[in-house]
Amino acid sequence: MPDLKLPSCTERAWTGCRAAALMVGIGMLSAPAIAQRPEPPPFYAIRDAQVVTAPGHVLERATVLIADGLIEAVGADLEIPADAWVIDGTGLVVYPGLIDAMTTLGQAPPESGPPSAGPERSGRDQPTIRGPEDRPQTTPWKSAADLLIDDDGRIESWREAGFTAAVTVPEGGIFPGQATLIHLGESEKDERVIATPVAQRIVLAGRSRTFPGSLMGRISYIQQVLSDAQYSAQVRKLYERSPVGRERPLYDRAIDPIREAVEVGVPFFLPADHGHEIDRMLAIAERWQLRPILVGGQAAYARAAMLGTSNAAVVVNLDWPEADKNEDPDADTPLPTLYHHRMAPSTPAALLEAGVEIAFTSGELSGPSMLFEKLRTAIDAGLSVDDALEALTLGAARILGVEDQLGSIAAGKIANLVLASAEPWAEDVEIKAVFVDGKKYESRPDDEESEPPSVNVSGSWALELTTPGGVRQLTAELNMKDDGKVSGEITSERGTRAIKDGKVADDMLTFKTQRTMGPRTVEAKYTLTVTGETVDGSLSVGPRSMDLTGERTAAAASKEDEGETPAVSNEDFEHAMSLYRGPVRRIGSFAITNARVYTVSDPTLDSTLTNATVVVRDGKIAALGQDIEVPAGLEVIDAAGGSLIPGIIDAHSHIAVDGAVNESSLAVTSMVTIQDVIAPADIAIYRALAGGVTTINVLHGSSNPIGGGNAVLKLRWGSDADGLRFAGAPAGIKFALGENPKRSRGNPPPGVARRYPATRMGVMDVIRQAFTEAREYARVRQQAEQGPKGTLPPRPDFKLDRLAEILAGERLVHAHCYRADEILQLLQLADEFGFRISTLQHVLEGYKVADEIAAHGAGASTFSDWWGYKVEAYDAIPHNAALMTERGVLVSINSDSGEEMRHLNQEAAKAIKWGGLDENAALRLVTLNPAIQLGIDDRVGSIEVGKDADLTLYDGHPLSVYSIVQKTFIDGDLYFELEADRQRQTAIDDLKAKLHPSEDTDEKESDGEDNSEPQTETMDAEPPPPDANLAQSEARS
Amino acid sequence: MSSTHYPDFPAQIRHRGRLAWRWHVALIASLTLATASISDGQTLVIEGGTVHSLAGEPFVGHVLVVDGLIQEVSDSLTIPADAIQVDATGLHVYPGLFDAMTTLGLVEISAVAATSDTTEIGRFNPHLQAASAVHPASEVIPVTRANGITHAISAPGTRDGIIAGQAAVLHLDGWTVDEMAIERSAAMVVRWPDIATRIFDRSTFSFRSRPFNEAKEEAEEGQGELRDWLEAARHYTQAAGSTRTERSLELEALARVLDRGQPVIFLANAARDIESAVDFAEREGLNMILAGGRDAWKVKELLAEKRIPVILGRSQALPAEDDDPYDRPFRNAGELHAAGVKLAFSTGAGSRFGPGGPHSTRTLPYETAMAAAYGLPREEALKAITLYPAEIFGLSDRLGTVEAGKIANLIVTNGDPLEITTQVRHLIIQGREVETANRHRSLYERYRTRPDAR
Repeated sequence: MPDLKLPSCTERAWTGCRAAALMVGIGMLSAPAIAQRPEPPPFYAIRDAQVVTAPGHVLERATVLIADGLIEAVGADLEIPADAWVIDGTGLVVYPGLIDAMTTLGQAPPESGPPSAGPERSGRDQPTIRGPEDRPQTTPWKSAADLLIDDDGRIESWREAGFTAAVTVPEGGIFPGQATLIHLGESEKDERVIATPVAQRIVLAGRSRTFPGSLMGRISYIQQVLSDAQYSAQVRKLYERSPVGRERPLYDRAIDPIREAVEVGVPFFLPADHGHEIDRMLAIAERWQLRPILVGGQAAYARAAMLGTSNAAVVVNLDWPEADKNEDPDADTPLPTLYHHRMAPSTPAALLEAGVEIAFTSGELSGPSMLFEKLRTAIDAGLSVDDALEALTLGAARILGVEDQLGSIAAGKIANLVLASAEPWAEDVEIKAVFVDGKKYESRPDDEESEPPSVNVSGSWALELTTPGGVRQLTAELNMKDDGKVSGEITSERGTRAIKDGKVADDMLTFKTQRTMGPRTVEAKYTLTVTGETVDGSLSVGPRSMDLTGERTAAAASKEDEGETPAVSNEDFEHAMSLYRGPVRRIGSFAITNARVYTVSDPTLDSTLTNATVVVRDGKIAALGQDIEVPAGLEVIDAAGGSLIPGIIDAHSHIAVDGAVNESSLAVTSMVTIQDVIAPADIAIYRALAGGVTTINVLHGSSNPIGGGNAVLKLRWGSDADGLRFAGAPAGIKFALGENPKRSRGNPPPGVARRYPATRMGVMDVIRQAFTEAREYARVRQQAEQGPKGTLPPRPDFKLDRLAEILAGERLVHAHCYRADEILQLLQLADEFGFRISTLQHVLEGYKVADEIAAHGAGASTFSDWWGYKVEAYDAIPHNAALMTERGVLVSINSDSGEEMRHLNQEAAKAIKWGGLDENAALRLVTLNPAIQLGIDDRVGSIEVGKDADLTLYDGHPLSVYSIVQKTFIDGDLYFELEADRQRQTAIDDLKAKLHPSEDTDEKESDGEDNSEPQTETMDAEPPPPDANLAQSEARS
Repeated sequence: MSSTHYPDFPAQIRHRGRLAWRWHVALIASLTLATASISDGQTLVIEGGTVHSLAGEPFVGHVLVVDGLIQEVSDSLTIPADAIQVDATGLHVYPGLFDAMTTLGLVEISAVAATSDTTEIGRFNPHLQAASAVHPASEVIPVTRANGITHAISAPGTRDGIIAGQAAVLHLDGWTVDEMAIERSAAMVVRWPDIATRIFDRSTFSFRSRPFNEAKEEAEEGQGELRDWLEAARHYTQAAGSTRTERSLELEALARVLDRGQPVIFLANAARDIESAVDFAEREGLNMILAGGRDAWKVKELLAEKRIPVILGRSQALPAEDDDPYDRPFRNAGELHAAGVKLAFSTGAGSRFGPGGPHSTRTLPYETAMAAAYGLPREEALKAITLYPAEIFGLSDRLGTVEAGKIANLIVTNGDPLEITTQVRHLIIQGREVETANRHRSLYERYRTRPDAR
């Protein structure tokens, strides 16, 4: 490419110059996105305006003086300098410019890469990640400031709405880099930067085939990096103190920016919407001493009080959740989701009331008009107008540490102002002018005189675009005002975009959408003739034009509807939610009388008591027997005809997990743990309670020879993740042998290498290698601990830490296995390294080597009668539990299934049928034995004085197929009751009936707001213009 | 494309006219293909047990079996001298249990494709018969019958097709498939083209949702194809005498379901899909059996009114929606029964693609018991795994109760067969006592006697 740069391009004024030159160079393919701007003298005076200097501070008929990009003065009786350009603000209001606290504005959006860049790089070219040491998806050195482009078409629409500054963040990866605060004026990219870095960004969403591939992998990895940053600080401190005999700390671009951010207090953007996500992120922030700014925060209404006592600020995502338009009309949205949809907009008000500093982000919203609509929803939900302004101005400035420069109208601050007829988000606002960095921008009035509309296009539309590649579906949501102006958005496969310049003149609807293609903005023009419920016309992109037709699928919700009080009040909702999720009743102290009590306490005797009384005090079993007198005043539960057993314990479960249960990228993933991804709202918890289960062992999956950590939970439904933890339960870890870790089924996708190991030989090798490494790590660490003060310990390695715990006997191993030979191999390997396997899981051929298992002291946790689903399960027999028990192995029966766990009592009964265990031995398979295996038998597993009152009451024999769980207690609190379950169900059904009354009426009815037809799948609405590739290659030259 | 694809079959019939032959002779021959039943002249008597005939009140008595059939059930019986005697004193005699949808004999190890013969390539395979792939020596069969299941439907499935093929009713004993077959072709299995907005994505190995309209369009397209096939089968039947029509094994097989002939098992679960299937079957004049029926309780009145019997999948299943009652699947059967719907249980129905693996077929009584715990009367539960499936498949003259004239498929237990702790003491299939020995028991016995290894 010839160098087309013109000398005048160096002049600050001519911002559009490069683009213009480019256009000359490639033959005027289309108009430049930004016109060449004149640069008038930078002195302005806005007089006789109402000035909101800061939220809640208003000056009437005041003057704002602007000079050289700054606010010179603001006040009532200011003398206007002669060189100032005077703007009459009579009848108008001056606001501080708005700040969008998280965007990608000013950068080329990643999705707009050239479509012709060739086929996607195949997986083969991607490096295989060996572990955290390869620093996958970590670019904290990257600054959004360095990613700016000169022209981003989106900026204009933000600015025209009153936004004068925005945080722009790097995208991609887990540590994508540093956030930058930019001006939203028209200037060259470097001039935009106000402050950088304003934050380091952390991202949890996303998936990868390489490490870390799962949510728990990401959380583990993030903490390893933070730990490494901390270690790096320690190393540097020691070196600074006495460099002699130490290695000079080397530059590390992946770690140093993180360490520096922690040291100087640069905040971290931490993603969290839901309560348990907020808990998770705050715990990470606290552990690693980060300054937290939560991003998202849509369910923070449920954590407001807690956040008020934390040091966290919240950038609330205004893109409130709502029902998917393409959703199955028969889909039954869960009550918690409906509740969340209702409550999310109340988050800003709730956070402010709790004293939490907030700002707003437009999130994935297509533009400011959508943002303002969502902001109005928050105002309807209780956010005051002043507070809304605060969050968009001074509040955001404080969170970002730029309150000295931005956020209010005061002398010396940057002249970022909005001159408007009302609050910028008001529905009928007219934005007269926006000042960014002291430069004035006016939206150009639409001069064209057009005919008044003769049709109304408001509503939902399904459109069909005929492209050379076939017909494509898109949808549009349009809203027309009386004067014919149309706002709304259009949805294609690539997402939703706001429409621009929409209007109806007579029966002609025209609007545009914009997409950024590298340095260019590609505009699609829609021209449609409206005839009743149909439209017909064309879509043109550059020189290409395609036919477009469509029909209205739903009328717009009328204004009257919006004003109506909702059929269900927030209080009703909260009441239903309290029945939905939470204990039935906190009791703590009570007595159960007349029950047949299966204490299962003595493994050798039948320890069943008929007509017995169990006294519970403060969640513990206080007394037990047939001749117990119930203390006066204690609540009595008469259980005549019923039987009481210890709460069922499931030694192998995967419920209540957020994201994948496997971090399957590596063969050894001891660095991850299920503890990090507990999903406390999983409905499976309630269903398990209904099956009498009170404690579960949540395990990592079986994809790796050494998997991740476990979590032992008490099913205290309604608690957060912390409240579910079985405090004091020993930590554990998952191992896996055989077909699953060697991946005998299915090949990896093209381009992805097969993972070692692929044989049982390799599986054993992986485990042996890992422990060899861990033993050395533990040795070095111990040496450092015992060395003189100032001895540098080895870098903490989460993977090896956990393995070292196993070697030290501090972590229980739960090993998934099937075949007898592999079981023996593992037991021998454990003997070799001096640790014990706590449980063999599944262990379907355990009966073949029961003596060896017993000799090692391993427990066995097996299925009742599953077999034949794979080769290594072909020798499985339902007598396994009984036969292993007979030969001295401590056996439990587990579910590994959210369904099977609901009738583990029946699964236990199968050991009576197949193999002839007695009733007590059978019951112990799902109570005391798993408790012993998990190291929690001092607390649970049998009905004994002093143990936790975790109890399950049946209406008949506990091993009968006809018996139904009546009550389930944990710590003496009632967590399931059959009767209460029916009330709970009625509450759910009633509330939903009120929310969607139309379901009971004729489904064909089409004028209601809830009856919009589902939309056809949307496809790519805007094919790239033919010259896009060319333009892109120009941009790179 | 394999020859089983007929996107445009009426045209094919026309164009191939020249190659026609006298197919109808062959058709008749195939219909009369006999199944070999045991006829060894053996006499057997079950003495002194409580007989739960399911045709009346239980009583203590005897069951006389001659030549594979029940000859007499009574409390006073002259026992022939040469009769093999089965002492049932203190025990209970029940009809053998009938699983109404399985893949018994078609799968040995689920994860090993080489051992699976459930799912053929092609979308419309009305001519395929499960009976032609059943492996009589499958280890799964003795394991299953040891728990009292004496006969079962074995049915093909399909991956993304619509007509899977013909299901067989089999005795769970026999040296050959012919000895096992009660009906080689008992019903046509159709995966009803449903509106599936949540589909399993094999590339990510997880469920994903897709737009409703797309799913609806696909369902309607499939339903249209099925209609075309039935229409073609009608043409084919009408042209029966023509010398110009080429023989089509597919249409020949499909013709048997027309005019409320051979039952058609429609696999469907969601209420809207059940409704559309019922509507379709009525318009096409098909003898419909619903299989799966997860949401059948939602449309129980319709099913009762149209007299559509239901083969339920597992009761021990999770509710379809988060907000459903925890026991929604447990209560399905009880509610259907109360509304007057005829139902049978199975361990295989439930998936939209056809029956699942056969290894848990032995748990049929416990799936049934779960429904009994949650509202289905116990005797009805028992009938739903004995008599009702026999009625549904038109076999109640031969199976389903302990009555004279019926095939002697019987079990002798020490208690309620739906209780897990109950043991099956004797197993009689086609009048002969069958060993309850099986792979599991022999492994158990072998390793139980392993010398102490400590």
